[in-house]
Amino acid sequence: MEAQKNELLQKFELYGCFQCGKCTGGCPVSLKSKLNIRKLMIEVLLRENLGNMIQRDELWDCTTCKTCTLRCPRGLEPMDLLIGMRALSVEEGHIPKTIIEALEGAYKYGNPWNAAKNKRSDWANELELKVFPQGGKAANLYFVCCTAAYDTRVQNVGRSLVQCFRQIGYDFATLGNDETCCGSEIRRMGEEGLFEMLMEGNIESINKYDIRSIVTTSPHCYNTIKNDYGQDGLQVSHYTQVLAEAIKDKNPFSGEMRKAITYHDPCFLGKQNGIFDEPRQILQSIPGVTFIDFDRSREKSLCCEGGGGRMWVESSDQGPRLAEIRVQDAVDMGAEILATACPFCLLTLEDAVKTTGNEEKLRVMDISEILVEVL
Amino acid sequence: MEVIVCIKRVPETAGADIIIDKTGRGIEKRGLVFDINEWDNYAVEEAILLKEEYGGSVTVISMGPEEANETLRRALAMGADQAIRLTDPVFEGSDGYAIARILSQAIKPLSYDLILTGVQTEDDGYGQVGPTLAEILEIPHAAVVNRIDGIEGGRVKVHRELEGGLEEVLDLNIPAVLTIQSGINEPRYVSIMGIRKVAKKEIKVLGLSELGMKPEDAGQPGSLSVVERVFFPPVGEGAQMLEGTMDEISDKVVTILKEKGGGA
Ligand code: SF4
Ligand code: SF4
Repeated sequence: MEAQKNELLQKFELYGCFQCGKCTGGCPVSLKSKLNIRKLMIEVLLRENLGNMIQRDELWDCTTCKTCTLRCPRGLEPMDLLIGMRALSVEEGHIPKTIIEALEGAYKYGNPWNAAKNKRSDWANELELKVFPQGGKAANLYFVCCTAAYDTRVQNVGRSLVQCFRQIGYDFATLGNDETCCGSEIRRMGEEGLFEMLMEGNIESINKYDIRSIVTTSPHCYNTIKNDYGQDGLQVSHYTQVLAEAIKDKNPFSGEMRKAITYHDPCFLGKQNGIFDEPRQILQSIPGVTFIDFDRSREKSLCCEGGGGRMWVESSDQGPRLAEIRVQDAVDMGAEILATACPFCLLTLEDAVKTTGNEEKLRVMDISEILVEVL
Repeated sequence: MEVIVCIKRVPETAGADIIIDKTGRGIEKRGLVFDINEWDNYAVEEAILLKEEYGGSVTVISMGPEEANETLRRALAMGADQAIRLTDPVFEGSDGYAIARILSQAIKPLSYDLILTGVQTEDDGYGQVGPTLAEILEIPHAAVVNRIDGIEGGRVKVHRELEGGLEEVLDLNIPAVLTIQSGINEPRYVSIMGIRKVAKKEIKVLGLSELGMKPEDAGQPGSLSVVERVFFPPVGEGAQMLEGTMDEISDKVVTILKEKGGGA
């Protein structure tokens, strides 16, 4: 482990950390988990036994929201140190069983949900979409996302988005069953080799069909294709950007909705990519909507705990789920709809509505689903 | 501690659309995803845990075409030391007995303390290879092993899972064959990097003649059983498929349960 330790020291410039604690101060899970990202920076530097450290359960509590890295005044990358430590434990092979299943699913079936590859496009069966591998031609690739493709709840987001795209006359095709996991969560679980494999597969498709522009359902796919794939000249957009742009001059979604709506910023869209305004513009454009923002919104938004592989592993802590806090805050400020724009946020928040018994008071909806109601 | 593990590459059928092939005696393999047989994965992990505790080495053996290398490499990446693949066109169609014979020919010249196999395979599910192999090699065996207590003085102490939650503890002379039950351990993850690292490791390939066998010893002629037909179980009475959204289905389930007198 000595060599690995030195590698971590160099790669993440651990000597540069002056232990100010700004990282931990912003970490959403630090209040309830044993995970202390500041301490981790110095422990890797000073402690002898890296082998034991990479076995700590709390390493899997991190949601890779990136707040720590974004707040570091020294420009260090504490989140990546943590992912680097996960990677070491992935190489040793002793990782939570549910994480193993997700990784093996991504390897075998191209998705971490272990669902059959040839059923990937079933969600769109009656929609008659254009599909690149079936000869379809379009200016944009709609990258669906494993969760939107297979999760029965999130499938509705994909279907709603298709309606929205059609409403604004947006020309798109999908990769059908040839789409594979973007690898975002795989990389953040520490399986770099598998991430590269998935990325290469998708890049091959992008090149094969000469795709210049991609729009995604998920901020996670968006972030990784845009920032991790390193494809110069490829335009990558999140769907909220496309829709916000389209409704600027003439809004084809003219229906009314007399509701109080708040919006939860997905970490991978907001904090990590600065897309704060577009989702709000869309919601505020709907006649009748009273938009209320969370106190903790935009850069300060509270993470829903759905990222970084957390969809596939229970946290080691006993504290309240952050999504439950989020839902309670929304109810307290009188929101009737909690909108978001990420499959993981949608699932964690909707779950929290149920566990906090707020089904009667609050509906969790994806922005695309709201738009379909005001078509 | 020299441990040999017999492993098999099998198609994953859970959740897949299964089609019976033209011969009517097998299934269409195209489009299916293959992986190590689940029970064998536990057997490989157990062998590596034994190596970590007692030292020695682990040899994995698989019978199958070139694709079986994938499964052997996976085992090498987990920590096995040598890999052997047994292949010959005449092996095709071998039943559990013939497979055990082929394996035994490969194992005879090796030195070993334990031979591990999975309890059964996910595809054929006979559960015969392990015990038959022990009989051919004339060594003791224990089937459905869910715990190995330890090895001492030329003996191994194991727990066997019996029906109804009962467990049997056995003390066996080694060498012995143990068929390993799933859940005995937590098989480690094999990373893509790990597999890449063993990509160049040699896999020894042995065919019919290297194993000192004759064509009539393997395949259909060397087998004791014949598969006549593969078919889906006939659809029975009483099953009702519910359709609709998650909410609609839940409502229907509740209604049915109430009708049948549940939920009072
Ligand atoms: S914010 Fe940066 S410098 Fe401060 S403790 Fe964290 S990693 Fe170290
Ligand atoms: S990425 Fe987020 S959850 Fe993970 S350590 Fe940093 S601040 Fe905490």
